[in-house]
Amino acid sequence: MSSLQTDVLVIGGGSTGSGVARDAAMRGFSTLLVERRDLADGTTGRFHGLLHSGGRYAVKDPPAAIECIKENLILRKVAPDCIEDTGGVFVVTPWDDPAFGDRFLAGCKNTGVPVHEVSVGDTLRREPRLHPGIKRAFTVPDAAIDPWKLVWSNVRSAQEHGARMLTYHRVLSLDVDGGKVMGAVLQDVRSGDEVRVRAEVVVNAAGAWAGQIASMAGCEVQILPGKGVMIAMNHRLVQTVLNRCKLPGDGDIIVPIRTTCVIGTTDVHVTDPDTSEITKHEVDFMLDEGEKLVPGFRQARALHAWAGVRPLFQETRAKDIETRDVTRSHALLDHKKRDGVGGFVTITGGKTTTYRFMAEVAVDAVCEQLGVQRPCSTAKERLPGSERGATYQLGARLGAREPLPQSEEIICECELVTRSHLDAAIARRETDSIDDIRRLLRIGMGPCQGGFCIYRATALLHADRHLDYATANHSLLDFLEERWKGLHPILYGDQLRQTRLDDWIFQGLFDVRHLPR
Amino acid sequence: MTYDVIVVGAGLAGLTAALRLSEQDRRVLVIAKGNGATHLAPPVIDVLGYAGDKRIESPQKALSGFVVSHPGHPYANVSADVIAESLDWLSRRVPELGYQGRLDENWLLPTAVGVPKPSALVPESMVAGDLRRGGRFVFIGLRGLKDFHASYLADNLARAQLPARVSTRFIELEPPHDRNADPGSVGFARRFDEPRFRDWIVQALAGQLEPNEKVGFPAVLGIEKAGEVWRDLERRLEHPAFEVPLLPPSAPGIRLYDALARALRQAGARILIGDRVAAGGSEGGRVAEINALTAARPVAYRANSFVLATGGFASGGLELDSRGSVRETVFGLPVAGMPDAGEPMFSPRYFDTHAVSRAGVAVDARLRPVDEKGKVVFENLHAAGAILSGAVPWREHSGNGISLATGYAVAAAILEHAAPRIRVDARD
Repeated sequence: MSSLQTDVLVIGGGSTGSGVARDAAMRGFSTLLVERRDLADGTTGRFHGLLHSGGRYAVKDPPAAIECIKENLILRKVAPDCIEDTGGVFVVTPWDDPAFGDRFLAGCKNTGVPVHEVSVGDTLRREPRLHPGIKRAFTVPDAAIDPWKLVWSNVRSAQEHGARMLTYHRVLSLDVDGGKVMGAVLQDVRSGDEVRVRAEVVVNAAGAWAGQIASMAGCEVQILPGKGVMIAMNHRLVQTVLNRCKLPGDGDIIVPIRTTCVIGTTDVHVTDPDTSEITKHEVDFMLDEGEKLVPGFRQARALHAWAGVRPLFQETRAKDIETRDVTRSHALLDHKKRDGVGGFVTITGGKTTTYRFMAEVAVDAVCEQLGVQRPCSTAKERLPGSERGATYQLGARLGAREPLPQSEEIICECELVTRSHLDAAIARRETDSIDDIRRLLRIGMGPCQGGFCIYRATALLHADRHLDYATANHSLLDFLEERWKGLHPILYGDQLRQTRLDDWIFQGLFDVRHLPR
Repeated sequence: MTYDVIVVGAGLAGLTAALRLSEQDRRVLVIAKGNGATHLAPPVIDVLGYAGDKRIESPQKALSGFVVSHPGHPYANVSADVIAESLDWLSRRVPELGYQGRLDENWLLPTAVGVPKPSALVPESMVAGDLRRGGRFVFIGLRGLKDFHASYLADNLARAQLPARVSTRFIELEPPHDRNADPGSVGFARRFDEPRFRDWIVQALAGQLEPNEKVGFPAVLGIEKAGEVWRDLERRLEHPAFEVPLLPPSAPGIRLYDALARALRQAGARILIGDRVAAGGSEGGRVAEINALTAARPVAYRANSFVLATGGFASGGLELDSRGSVRETVFGLPVAGMPDAGEPMFSPRYFDTHAVSRAGVAVDARLRPVDEKGKVVFENLHAAGAILSGAVPWREHSGNGISLATGYAVAAAILEHAAPRIRVDARD
């Protein structure tokens, strides 16, 4: 068993964990980030992509709203390349209580969320597909945020500050000795090799899985995993984040992000955070709710559905209330104070919008445990890729491509990924998984859902990485199975038509079922 | 304007039915929203490649057992003799493609990922790829052609389950390109039409081929001058050469369409591509007319008989809406093979057979659509090709076989039973 030594071991490669790794590395701690799968493979990569203005929580949860708008404004400064400034609008539809509009306005004003009531006519001109029966409309600074770009930018920055990263490594156990967590035993899930890590402090940023990690140190952390289903539609049916102006509920947000728009979401308590099942009932419900915001929603082409699991934290130890942080939006647990277990901090709950602040309080707790004072600078220092300070513009890929229209092959026509993009991503990721490449480049995420690019990507992976046939074939077949999970719940209309073409390509033309394994 | 027969759909099934009928002097109109699967798929005729997980060596031998175990299958309505006849007919009718093969044995050709795939009838430009007797194969990659990767193909094919030993290798060429570095397979096919480009290929391969090697090219060996291109390369390389089918669009598939369309026009048929078709009036249990939904206004076309060859879900012949309700898109015919209401349409595992896979139009022995009770819907409406229920063509490797055989059979059914042909003097 090999061994590693670090000041801070961060468990979980989602937005929180990558934020903690960056913050800790920037404060001069040697840092190791460990993730059981790929970065942003958990909840972070499975949400709708909304950068909250706080409007959604302005009435129901004012502290969360205050935190959201504060972080929204910070992320616009430090991570603009990850953000498309779509703006957001809250609309009172015929199904909503018109009186809620006044409560919403008051809530936004009390929490500092910039809000303006705008005329119905102007709103319909801005969003012509919006339900013409809306009664009131309010603009807020909602935006779209690309979770993969965000996590990768944080990790790149962390690495620039000396942090190390181990993806596809799961935590087998935590080493606890004399009331202190001393480190962890990890296992490389691909090779089976084990690694022992000795750490001064372990930060549990495993999100919905934080309860499982905490129990390895004998600490009880109750996470109530809340499953949410989302559907990406093939078009930007709307260009602004649309919210129903009511208390937060299911299927009441549509977020335009990249070339799609995403409707979300549901909230079903599940026992296992690895649950990803999507029921027909959930899909039907979302489509019906979509109709209320955008009439004809059911006739639009659905691309893909997925489920993410929220880490809803429930404190089981009422007397330890002081260990909870300032708002209900996230939970910082210093296990030394809470459970008498030193060297161990859990940061969970929260949302991607507030990931930076969660990382800040977690690393503050690390400093406290280590008895040092080192200030946080993540609210000021821009993430790699965001140096220019400009937000992401839809059409940026096309813009980059246009001056050189026929200079090289386009591997993924849907997302305009060129061969040199793909070659560079393969080299950078050092991965044999097309799904890992997808999270980096969005290949296979467009209308054809990989029908055309996956063969090309597999063959280039085979050539670039000198893969043996079995590894390459496994990667292709694995991608097809993964893709299907998000396709079969929404197969109707043009997406069924597309899928039938893809079935013929893979099974009829190529006959991948009979590939040598 | 009145026709003897109107064929809706311009894929292999529709074109076959139309050409057979035109050959018998019937006045035929082919009308379609767009080009069919001919432009997407290679022109190999797979009659039956797999029954379950068993690879079929002779469709002729396997068919009788297959239709017994698959009673609703389109092949249950066409005899093996008719299927065999249809293969011979196509070979004769489009000599440009130089088809070779018979119903009693399957060729085994490599796919672009290096899996041996059974086909009954193949164009001459693919024959040398037959893997059944083993041998030495070299595959030629062309830098810039993103849809063909010779090393991946060669690596897989070397591990394939085959009756005889096969050795594989690959050569990557970097052809010169001007302006467009991403011309796609059709662009490459046009370049192969040019003698200068073939000169370059031949020179680049000079001294690189080993004795007895068969040379596999991506299926881009010409569009306009396809036969000439392939023969020229074989002659000058002094090695057998063959094409490996690629992702859509399919250059050899377009060659088949062009050959069939040429034959159809010569036989006096009319082809209209570009308008969606909707049902028109019916009289006394017979379809009287269909409407072409042109940009300006619907235009009615009348005929004595109609052939529906619009394809399945992939081609737009069938549609499923978000509430799980299925529709045949031209006549609103009953759709068979759908799961019961409330039952899942798809399995959560990709490679399972899904409940909607066999959905389509059920027909009687004369290939006329029937309702749930087996009653013929319209006396003079027939169906052929991928719209027929009961098959999983991409699994059985039966797609073009079903289209050809049922297109061929539907013409026979019409010739046998329909009213005598309309006599016309002038043709447009």
